[in-house]
Amino acid sequence: MNRRFFLKSGSVALASVGMSLSAPSFLERIVLGNTLTGGKRKTLIAIFQRGAVDGLNVVVPFGESNYYELRPSIAIPKSGNDSAISLDGFFGLHPSMSAFKPLWDSKRLAIIHASGSPDNTRSHFDAQDYMESATPGVKSTSDGWLNRYLSSKKDADESLFRAVSMTKTMPRVLQGRASAVAMSNLSEFAIRAGKSSDNLQGGFEAIYARETKDSLAGMGRETFEAVNYLKKANPGQYQPENGAQYPRTPFGTSLLQIAQLIKAGVGLEVAFTDIGGWDTHVNQGNSRGQLANLLQQFSSGIAALYQDLGQRMDDVVVLTMSEFGRTVRENGNRGTDHGHANAMFVLGNGIRGGKVYGQWPGLKSDQLYEGRDLALTTDFRDVFGEIATRHLGSTDVKSIFPGYSSNASKFKGFLG
Amino acid sequence: MRKLVALILLALLTQPLVFAQKHRSLSEEQRIIHVLNRLGFGARPGDVERVKAMGLENYINQQLNPEKITDTVAENKLRELSVLNMTTAELYEKYPQPGQLLRQLQARGMVPEEMPADAAKNNQNQPPANPLDNEKNRKVIEEYYRENGLQRPQRIIAELQASRILRAVYSERQLQEVMVDFWTNHFNIFANKGADRWLLPAYDRDTIRPNALGKFSTLLQATAQSPAMLFYLDNFQSVSPNANQGRRGGLLQQVRPQQQQRRGINENYARELMELHTLGVDGGYTQKDVQEVARCFTGWTIFQPRGGGAAVNAMMGENGRRNAGTFVFNARVHDDGEKTVLGHKIPSGGGIKDGLMVLDILAHHPSTAKFIATKLVRHFVSDTPPPGLIDRVAATFTKSDGDIRETLKAIFFSKEFNSAEAYRVKIKRPFELVISAIRTLGADTNGGPGTHRWIERMGEPLYGFQTPNGYSDAAESWVNTGGLLERMNFGLALAGNRVQGTTVSLAKTNGEQAKVMDEYLKTLLAGDISAATRDALLKQLEPTDPATKVVGLILGTPEFQRQ
Repeated sequence: MNRRFFLKSGSVALASVGMSLSAPSFLERIVLGNTLTGGKRKTLIAIFQRGAVDGLNVVVPFGESNYYELRPSIAIPKSGNDSAISLDGFFGLHPSMSAFKPLWDSKRLAIIHASGSPDNTRSHFDAQDYMESATPGVKSTSDGWLNRYLSSKKDADESLFRAVSMTKTMPRVLQGRASAVAMSNLSEFAIRAGKSSDNLQGGFEAIYARETKDSLAGMGRETFEAVNYLKKANPGQYQPENGAQYPRTPFGTSLLQIAQLIKAGVGLEVAFTDIGGWDTHVNQGNSRGQLANLLQQFSSGIAALYQDLGQRMDDVVVLTMSEFGRTVRENGNRGTDHGHANAMFVLGNGIRGGKVYGQWPGLKSDQLYEGRDLALTTDFRDVFGEIATRHLGSTDVKSIFPGYSSNASKFKGFLG
Repeated sequence: MRKLVALILLALLTQPLVFAQKHRSLSEEQRIIHVLNRLGFGARPGDVERVKAMGLENYINQQLNPEKITDTVAENKLRELSVLNMTTAELYEKYPQPGQLLRQLQARGMVPEEMPADAAKNNQNQPPANPLDNEKNRKVIEEYYRENGLQRPQRIIAELQASRILRAVYSERQLQEVMVDFWTNHFNIFANKGADRWLLPAYDRDTIRPNALGKFSTLLQATAQSPAMLFYLDNFQSVSPNANQGRRGGLLQQVRPQQQQRRGINENYARELMELHTLGVDGGYTQKDVQEVARCFTGWTIFQPRGGGAAVNAMMGENGRRNAGTFVFNARVHDDGEKTVLGHKIPSGGGIKDGLMVLDILAHHPSTAKFIATKLVRHFVSDTPPPGLIDRVAATFTKSDGDIRETLKAIFFSKEFNSAEAYRVKIKRPFELVISAIRTLGADTNGGPGTHRWIERMGEPLYGFQTPNGYSDAAESWVNTGGLLERMNFGLALAGNRVQGTTVSLAKTNGEQAKVMDEYLKTLLAGDISAATRDALLKQLEPTDPATKVVGLILGTPEFQRQ
């Protein structure tokens, strides 16, 4: 559904605003919201690479001789067959990520290298926890930073689809006071009872419409407005635009459905999804192999999303993250173990791309963190903070990152 | 008889007259339903009559003494869940992690390390995520599992989840199951953190269950010494930075290479012990107390936390094998200096006694009494716990030396618990919703993943809460659009016999929709439904509709979401 169709169909709902004494319904709110903002809602798509991706083989520091010394069998060559895609003469992209090259060349894609969490944990569990709560070292934080962002910026026109996670359960990063929806597939956001679905949905709608005293009833009515709205958007019939081809994997489908929600104008502000399998302790591969294949899926999925969204990327930022990096030295199984700093990507038409941000700490033995890992020069909260402030328009980063003073002087400047 | 019971109950209430004015009272039938909902997971067909016959007070007292209740049906249902009776060491042996097994086999030269990865085929969109996605590796591993009678580790938690579902549905010891659920959340552990999936069966069996209605201090110590908690909150690797570790100490620790550099104090357990297990976040401790408590618990660790490798087992002999994954105090890494915790001096040289003293101080602290009382009242009475009741319950907790039974009695016989204000106000959590639907319908279940999947979809996978605070006990966490939609879908699936492993047989409607509807409203909700909902339901029914529809709709009403 395009925005014009949406506004047209939404006008019916708008007309009823004056007659209703209750709070504006879901549909009314997003109609109002889109009208007030000209439909230009800023959106963040956050992607978590669970399992700790080997950032040194993603954004390859081929200008470092130590990189080749420490990785005799898994390094990505600087030149020749299957070599890294040169970015700036010092860094190169993994050759399976060629889908990112045009985005880099058109300066829509930026990299923040040697970034991540300052905590030295090498536990996946703890590190993911810290990256999602954005309070490294503090385990008792009960909410995630994206939820704190949502709570900090009350949205009068808040849509039920303001925050959507395309995952089976609500990820830590979106847990908290503000409401968010988690679903593994848009088609699941419905009454699912085969042929009787419509009939039964009608039954529930009637029950929840009649009930007045119970607070659950209001939630029920909102739920069905959202369900019906999504139904009109007809997720099953979606055709990506501009020839975009998403990988036919759960990750590709998640991205496709996020694009679909953005185009349907449902008021999406924060989208989240994740992709696993990065914990390459054994036979990681080099230019080809398991990491290469996963990176191919990862980059082609994101590139398809970019292509599909077209001009809408003016208002969208894609952010990727992973809990920590991997050891600089390859291990005895042609893989890598848990390390420290990593590389993050940011993508969007508003991104000052074509640049690797962050100070490069070097890979000489005395430059390594705890003698083995890439050292950290950019705290991930400064990357999150810049996006929250300059893209999403937050004026309250302090409440998003408790106990941390994130401010403009620490921002890398990829959003100007 | 009925009058007699009512009189006894009335006499038990401390201020019956005030109660009559301030709190609208419940009818006897409502009280029975209330007790069956809150002290258990809902009324099975016949339960109300059974409780009526034996007397409500007798029923409550019986529930408070589960060891005296025979429970053959539930026990028989659990027969096939073999993980429940296995030691942690046996679990490590029978349910090895495939990746670890592959590495071991490779190390022993039983699988060549260099496997041409499927990756090389340039299979674009289906990349192998790990070495086990490699076809040949997978075959070797599968073969090895089969030949040696091994199972995948996921099976452990699946069986443990099934046991929780089966017990909640079938056990006569309903309050015991409610309290197991309560304490499992209070002392939460996440199954997907490292070794915890192997450690959880023992946690449920040896730590939580025997102490669910006993003394709080005993329960607290059991959790403190449980390998599952020691692993989950990292205490197993907390060592004094000054400790002089010989080679033997290193062997005992059995840490993975990537953790070897993280030697030192770990404050995680110390903090959560005070914040979440005992005093509460505003319970009056400082960061200094956290550090001191952490020092007291150095050396509280796990013998072979990950089961240990074959080489270690060979060196340690049979004893080493049997004890893998059990609690051990390692004096060599303990900080033996003097400490001060919440103003109490803990003298130097105490060894394991340091931690025991800390637990004793915490279990008897007034903040703990208040914190536990608040949580229990929130669970059993209302999301907004009445302060007066909290104070009385906390006083009972203190007076009875943390006796959980006595503390619960103070709640169950209080005017607040027995008031109309408390009746059907709590939103069922997904686990409670699923179990109560199965029970009230008299459905049959194997407790398997098909049923658990619905609990997970609604947001409460058992042992699936990542952070130590556990699932929320307040409505706001459970009332959201996605969750509500899944609740309705669950009701429809259950009524339509589409929940795998769970079967329900519904009445024939024979064209008498209204009559059948009212019967089910009585079975499922004891008739507690608003006129508006009943009217809306009635309008939905066509003369040809099967009972599936009416039951599915009732399970999805706002009324059925509450208990």
